Amino acid sequence: MQYGMVIDIKKCVGCHACTIACKAEWEVPADKDRNWVHRLGPDNTPHGLASTYYPGLCNHCNEPACVPVCPADIIQKTFTDKKSGKTKTLEVAATYKDPFNGTVQIDKERCLGCGACADACPYNARYVNENQINEELGSEGTADKCTYCMPRVEMGLEPACVQTCLARARIFGDLDDPNSEVSRYKKMGAKSLSSVNVNIGSNGLYYGNKRDMALLTATSTPQVMPEANMRRILMAKMKPGFNKAKKLGMLGLVGAVAMKGMKEDKE
Amino acid sequence: MAFNLTRRKFLQTATLAAASVPLANVVTAQAGVAKSPFTPSGTMADKTMVGGICEMCFWRCQLVGKVRGNKLMKLEGNPKSIDNGQSICARGNAGVQLLYDRDRLKYPMKNVGQRGAPKWKRISWDEALDTCAKKLKATEQKFGAKGICMFPHGASAKYPMQYLEHTVGTPNVSEASFFQCRGIRDTAFLATIGTPPGENVDMANAKVIFGLGCHFGENVHVSHTKRYLKGLENGAKLIIVDPRFSASAAKADEWVAVKPGTDTALMLGMMNYIIQQGKHNKAFIDKHGIGFAEFKESIAEWTIEKTAQTCDVPADQIKRVADLLADNAPNVSIHPGRHVSWHGNDFQRQRSLGCMMGLLGAMGVKGSFVKGKGPKGVGKVGWPKGEHHVEAMHVAAGIYPYSPPGTPTDLIRDAAITGAPYPIKSCVIWGQNPIQTIPNQQKTIDMLKQMDFVMCVDVMPTDITMYADILLPEASYLERYDFIKTGTQWDLSGKQQQYISARMPMVMADFERKDQVYITNEIAKRMGYGDKIPVSALPEMVDMQLAGAGLSIAKLIAEDGIHLQPGIDPYGVADDLLVYFNNAEIADYGYPASPTYIAVEEVPAGHFRLLYGRSPVHTFNRTQNNVWLHHAMPENPVWINDEMAKELSLVNGDRVYCVNSEGVKSRNTTIVKVTPGIRKDCVYMAHGYGTKNPAMSVGAGAGIDDQALITILAVDPETGCHGMRNNFVKLVKA
Ligand code: SF4
Ligand code: SF4
Ligand code: SF4
Repeated sequence: MQYGMVIDIKKCVGCHACTIACKAEWEVPADKDRNWVHRLGPDNTPHGLASTYYPGLCNHCNEPACVPVCPADIIQKTFTDKKSGKTKTLEVAATYKDPFNGTVQIDKERCLGCGACADACPYNARYVNENQINEELGSEGTADKCTYCMPRVEMGLEPACVQTCLARARIFGDLDDPNSEVSRYKKMGAKSLSSVNVNIGSNGLYYGNKRDMALLTATSTPQVMPEANMRRILMAKMKPGFNKAKKLGMLGLVGAVAMKGMKEDKE
Repeated sequence: MAFNLTRRKFLQTATLAAASVPLANVVTAQAGVAKSPFTPSGTMADKTMVGGICEMCFWRCQLVGKVRGNKLMKLEGNPKSIDNGQSICARGNAGVQLLYDRDRLKYPMKNVGQRGAPKWKRISWDEALDTCAKKLKATEQKFGAKGICMFPHGASAKYPMQYLEHTVGTPNVSEASFFQCRGIRDTAFLATIGTPPGENVDMANAKVIFGLGCHFGENVHVSHTKRYLKGLENGAKLIIVDPRFSASAAKADEWVAVKPGTDTALMLGMMNYIIQQGKHNKAFIDKHGIGFAEFKESIAEWTIEKTAQTCDVPADQIKRVADLLADNAPNVSIHPGRHVSWHGNDFQRQRSLGCMMGLLGAMGVKGSFVKGKGPKGVGKVGWPKGEHHVEAMHVAAGIYPYSPPGTPTDLIRDAAITGAPYPIKSCVIWGQNPIQTIPNQQKTIDMLKQMDFVMCVDVMPTDITMYADILLPEASYLERYDFIKTGTQWDLSGKQQQYISARMPMVMADFERKDQVYITNEIAKRMGYGDKIPVSALPEMVDMQLAGAGLSIAKLIAEDGIHLQPGIDPYGVADDLLVYFNNAEIADYGYPASPTYIAVEEVPAGHFRLLYGRSPVHTFNRTQNNVWLHHAMPENPVWINDEMAKELSLVNGDRVYCVNSEGVKSRNTTIVKVTPGIRKDCVYMAHGYGTKNPAMSVGAGAGIDDQALITILAVDPETGCHGMRNNFVKLVKA
């Protein structure tokens, strides 16, 4: 099973309801977004004047750039298939791709809040939620992003953005199921926002007429993979240690400078 | 879905606890949902409150609220709704942030500073109500009831408006929704097809949808937008007439980039062409038309060539669009528009839209102008009419014969400022923000400055509240009973159903906020009208209204907030329907009997005509302090044609001021949006930005207040309503 979302920009009217419903559902800070709507154009395209929208969110990628950069300790995590009851145990850091439903999720209790995953995502789909501070880990927040509303979906509900969309422009479902609505769209030509350099198996697909798709892909396809910030990853790995040291008053001048540098890096 | 059926109990026992629950402290017992204190639980397991009715805009979608403890976490469309369904728009979703806006009015306040530069002192309700009643009574005694004027807006303003109009007896009431918006449409259609049209076009089943300035998508009303999208999905052709490539133009088959102000000419040219081609609906016109021969003759001058030249639209396109309409008639939606107070020649334009409906016979049949048949029986409760009836100023003067109900705004302002025909010395402002609603802000300020007393009732510290002597905090639409919403299923061709619903609170009103019935009754008692009070409390009023339909609040709650019943097929043309192509009565008043184009002032050299419109995340100027909505679109970029931008060396993202042709400069700056999607003779910005009240900590200083730049007054001669697109600006780099 691979959950995915199609956005039919022929239907989308750019009302922003999806972004706001998500904010309410998941208590997203006012200035952060799990999903967003960018207003594009009016601009000329090879197919004529166009104006459309980029409703974006985490694409729950097949080769997620955000997962391998996570510096948190590796643990053994057992996943259960909700349908069959089958289990699978994988070694994961604090963010991982679920082997059964294909979504990319975050273990909030173990997230260090370093933001390495947010840096690594070419779609800018992650942020650090400063309202969620894990004091035990000394974090300055925890990473956050769209979960495809898994807790809602598991209860038989639609994702919050899908439910509120008056245009029914957001279609959610299993891309592995050839009979699903999302698969039907894929067959009709729904496309991910992928480029030569950014081709990580995004499961967010877009469908529209030629001129709108031309404008969307020209303006909103990421062209470069962000460089993962190695220094940050290293520092984050050391951070729990640093914080313990800080609490014990053992950090000293050098350590304090290192901590400060780390913070500035983040800004 | 588990509906909460013990609402009353909840409301009785709920405490006025603090509004914000820090996220990390929320612990939910839902197994398998919340995994850690850092994971928000979602609202799925929260208590569901039924009976919400949105009022982030006037469309009033049906809601349920998700309540955790005493806090409203989320609003959703009521799953039982046959109107909006589970969908609500961005503003509807953001109602939570209006409810908990930290800048909301909390206590009654007295202005101990100046009007316009207020210093607020918290006072008791008793002192506030005593002062309001004493001051209003003093005006009433000295100048008569007509010495009081009122600027109301929204569901909560109806009750106090009736008190002042009926019982106290002032005709000086000016609703922005009429005089700065849709009033012209309603009276023009009354004079054409005998009924105000609302937005009742059956777009879902149309073969062609025709919108003049309609920018669906930027202008969002859920069930209305659903009809539009369903029509497009079913293959309707879309024609959008707009100087700008709007959200709707972007979905259109024909974008007609008309020269601003010339729309009536375009309509006349198309109608003349359709008649010349013999493509008008002769059978319909024979049966229902009045004055068709005079009309035909009167518009004969509008050849395609003359129309093309006047409107700056290619002749071919005019023909194409007219053919598209005629060839698909009668299943054509000629949208009547809503905000139509544009150029001061608007009554005639709105008449021409009604005539186009008649010409095509696009009434009563699938896809055309069709009014749903809603439920009957909901009762009325109101203030009794007093004995002394004062004629409104325009009636006494014999002007503005097609004015919508109330008194044209400028007559009130002028009377107040000049004292003629009589002084107006007390001003009640309820839910309206005349500063950002009515053109020429200085005149509004002059009017307020000369008052003996100004009181405002609102939820937010809008610009106008800066001019109040007494400022009263109102319960929001999420904290009170009131509005009864009735209607039919959103797709007129669907299973015929009717609904009745009534607004119920999602949470208790916090701080010292009170509802309109309390405030009005307390003032009325103190003014000596206590014996005229029609109801003692809001729920009582709602129950009395519902009783007419055999319902009650309790019954509605038991039905998950919405009562459904079988409906009536809305299609069909009444035998006695009359379409006044030529209306002799209008000529009796001295105005053109057949729709006539009246030219507007040309754009002065070096300027652009200032056009404004809707943003999907704002309603008028009411939502600019909402943090969620603000974040979605923090300012209102000014659109300028790419070739003009090049001439002016402006590039995307440049920061500019706007300066109008009378030298008024915008307080704030905004960014430039360079686009081929707008004509060269105009610039455009979304309305509803740039509040000047520093008490609005999110919205203050964000974007440009277009209303501040609208200083040249255009008044529609038939209706007395304002035209607000006759102002011209320059862009000046910041
Ligand atoms: S809610 Fe639907 S129509 Fe509105 S912006 Fe989101 S995807 Fe588009
Ligand atoms: S969109 Fe970004 S955050 Fe989401 S899975 Fe892909 S790389 Fe990771
Ligand atoms: S259209 Fe939006 S703001 Fe208006 S009533 Fe419906 S949900 Fe509320």
